[in-house]
Amino acid sequence: MSDRVQRLVQLQDLELMIDELQDPDHKRKEEALGFSVENFAQLEKARERLLKQIPKQDLRSYRRIRRRHVRAVVPVHNGICLGCFQTLPTRIQRGSSASGPLPACENCGRILYWF
Amino acid sequence: MTAEQFLSYFGPQRFIKELRARSKDGVLSELTRVLANDGDIRDPSLLLEMIRRRESLGSTGLGNGVAVPHGRSTAATRTKVVFACSKRGIEFDAPDGAPCRIFFLIVAPYEDHRHEYLPLLGKIVETVSEESSRQKLLGVETFEEFAEAMREAFRE
Repeated sequence: MSDRVQRLVQLQDLELMIDELQDPDHKRKEEALGFSVENFAQLEKARERLLKQIPKQDLRSYRRIRRRHVRAVVPVHNGICLGCFQTLPTRIQRGSSASGPLPACENCGRILYWF
Repeated sequence: MTAEQFLSYFGPQRFIKELRARSKDGVLSELTRVLANDGDIRDPSLLLEMIRRRESLGSTGLGNGVAVPHGRSTAATRTKVVFACSKRGIEFDAPDGAPCRIFFLIVAPYEDHRHEYLPLLGKIVETVSEESSRQKLLGVETFEEFAEAMREAFRE
């Protein structure tokens, strides 16, 4: 996986974690089980640090896709995009170059992340 | 959830009889490495980062010597659990201040069509809330013994 996609996966995991744990229903359930969920400032700081490491163009693509889908970056498993569950054409290259376009699913447009 | 459905999230390759780690971060690394050897979860650095961030919100140590670090990651394609013990106990910032000796690491993907993540988390917490279950888990030597201890906990 390229560094560019890896940083977007890190950002997405962090933002989805913040969204989920700030959801009152989810937070209440975790707390009812005995887990502490309180120090969100730490996560916001981590998010700010991460944002500085991501090229602006990649961030624009990520934000554009996140407006349409909960997850902008999805894994590829056995040649299938796990966002839309379509089989990917073999010509879609794994990874991405330092400055070229991010690998994306031709069907749903999500950024692809190969294991 | 039946005992067999519950046990389907575990496996002999995700069973650690005695942790080598002696610190909280060491435990998280060791548990994550074991998951990373699995075919469905292959990026230990992403998983570890996610688990560390979840811990930064508040310890997943529950008290009574139990910790259940957990979270979702894009690096996971299926929900999986690692079970581990530490006879000596490891400081995990649990609310009762006691070292933790029983660990469950749960990692799930974000796409959770079967809505299994929170019920699984709840079932693990419910199981280890019983003193008798905790004692049995501390005494297991093999995955088969662990599975039998869990089946007994379901029967009780």
